[in-house]
Amino acid sequence: MRLLLLEDTFELGEVIQTQMIDEGYAVDWVKTIAQAKAALDNTEYDLILLDLILPDGHGISLLNKLRSSYDRTPVIILTARDQISDRIKGLNAGADDYLVKPFDLSELSARIAAVIRRYTGNPNPKIKLADLSIDLNNHQVNRLGIEIHLTAREWALLEAFLHRPGRLLSKPQLEDHLYAFGAEIESNTIEVYISRLRKKLGKDLIETVRGLGYRMKQT
Amino acid sequence: MSNPQSIQKTLGIGLTLGVVFLWFIALVMAVSVLRIRMNRLFDSALAETAQRIMPLAVVEIINRKMPGQMQNIMPFAAHDEYLVYLVRDNHGAILLKSHNADSAVFDPHFQKGFSSSESHRFYGASAVQDTLHIQVAEPLAQRQAAMKEMIFTLVWPLAILIPLCFFGTWLFVRYSLRQVLAFSAAIKKRDGGDLSPIQAFELPIEINTIADSLNDLLQRLRRAMELEHAFTANSAHELRTPIATALAQIQRLQHTLPAGSSLEQACKIEITIKRLSRLSEKLMQLAKAESGRLMSAEPHDLICLLRLIIEQYKHSYPDKKFQLYLPDNESFMSNLDADAFAILVGNLLDNAMKYGNKQAPVVIGFSSGTLRIVNQSAIIPADKLAQLNHRFVRLNSQSKGSGLGLAIVDAIVTGMHATMTLYSPATNRTDGFEVRINFPHTS
Repeated sequence: MRLLLLEDTFELGEVIQTQMIDEGYAVDWVKTIAQAKAALDNTEYDLILLDLILPDGHGISLLNKLRSSYDRTPVIILTARDQISDRIKGLNAGADDYLVKPFDLSELSARIAAVIRRYTGNPNPKIKLADLSIDLNNHQVNRLGIEIHLTAREWALLEAFLHRPGRLLSKPQLEDHLYAFGAEIESNTIEVYISRLRKKLGKDLIETVRGLGYRMKQT
Repeated sequence: MSNPQSIQKTLGIGLTLGVVFLWFIALVMAVSVLRIRMNRLFDSALAETAQRIMPLAVVEIINRKMPGQMQNIMPFAAHDEYLVYLVRDNHGAILLKSHNADSAVFDPHFQKGFSSSESHRFYGASAVQDTLHIQVAEPLAQRQAAMKEMIFTLVWPLAILIPLCFFGTWLFVRYSLRQVLAFSAAIKKRDGGDLSPIQAFELPIEINTIADSLNDLLQRLRRAMELEHAFTANSAHELRTPIATALAQIQRLQHTLPAGSSLEQACKIEITIKRLSRLSEKLMQLAKAESGRLMSAEPHDLICLLRLIIEQYKHSYPDKKFQLYLPDNESFMSNLDADAFAILVGNLLDNAMKYGNKQAPVVIGFSSGTLRIVNQSAIIPADKLAQLNHRFVRLNSQSKGSGLGLAIVDAIVTGMHATMTLYSPATNRTDGFEVRINFPHTS
């Protein structure tokens, strides 16, 4: 999952980025609306975390621009403005959720997961896949009651497939989901993680479509 | 301070009293002139009567067979006799009198010309070398009755004139003051939150200056309140961001620390930051509640806002149960500021969740302008209940709340002229705590 974080407070942005990376998200962190527009022009994001009061304008203007160009990327507003009138404005502008600072990092994670689930059409956080039980909220995978440990990157790769059941994902698409701007990626990184996932979850779970990419079998 | 007077009423009464006063002066003068004229006329008639009767009486007395004998002149037909007369000789003997004449009313001492007694007006004349004297008398009551009748005729139109004059003046003043009345109604109609300029069309010069000054004042007030509002909002923003950063950093730190005293310390710091966050938020809310910025120019549907706030709470507290009794397809419009309403409901819900039974649902109802929030709890003693809306008063010393929640609600309720009532036990229950707020309708 690739997130765009738009937050001008350095210390807060840094903590949120670190937390989200730890949870397996690829996070591009920008501090101005202009930088956000540039990032959105080049990359497709799974979710945007949007602060409202920014040095070069109001976050709502960016949201309005996105929605007027029929961009349906989920947006969660992170703001210190707690008034219900601001919340109504934000939600009316097309935000999917509105989180008032200060917030618990765990609550932010839960809200991100909930919004992404809503967008993928499966609001249920518990998924059954062959003999696997997957808990999207707690990032847990169990087989017959035994927990299978996944690293953050492995989990992120699995989640990318879970949110697009049956869809063919190319290698660059998967790299985009896993890595932020400027990250150094080895040419065989995706193959390595696919191989690890197959080893832990079952070799038939992810199918290779030669020359095109990978596909997970439908839940 | 005395009650303010209505210009319309004051002018109506003043002008009516003025007209009535002038009417009375004119009446007194007219009566006075007419009285003199009438007396002259009556006197002239009296003298003329004497002058006409005297020659006839002389002929009649001289031609008598028995001179000195009194003769009573009988009428041709029965009639009221307003003028009576008698004729006497030099010795005062009555020689002739009209049939109704009472000699007692006549002065025994003859006087020529006009004279008066208490009850009559007389005219005396002499003939035949002052040997025969005639006196004609007219009752004064006659003149007084005529005068009374004349005064009454002049006075009775006043009974119609006074109400007509008052009503006419009232209508005219109302017409003249219609723009002032419209201006006054526009001021009266608006509530405390509406600081937009008041429209003043074609006001009289005297009032126009006041209207201009009032609109200038409203504009200054609006600017000051917007600045204050922006300052509070910016302060909240500036305060929340560093708290959010500190909270996020301490939570990150907890992830990296191994179990032990350092982790415990980090957890304690997190609790303190959260407490600081709550307290600063409550103080901001209290500042807003007491700022007077509780009403907005545009009315809001409180039921719709209530649903939105509850949705937000359900989102934030997925494990908590909320039992709703909200009317379908119904709205309740109020000029209460939407943010103030959200603060009010938020504090009541926070209290219900904090002090109520964690397993029991929070009951929320809204009907006919009354908001009801009920939580299950032990009965709160009446003396404690009466103090709960005071600042920094907590149900017990172990409570972790800021002690400001109900004080904030109370400040908002007072500021918007609503009423709040606390019940324990809750209505139709043997336990629990209930808050009821009656909201006024939009003006």
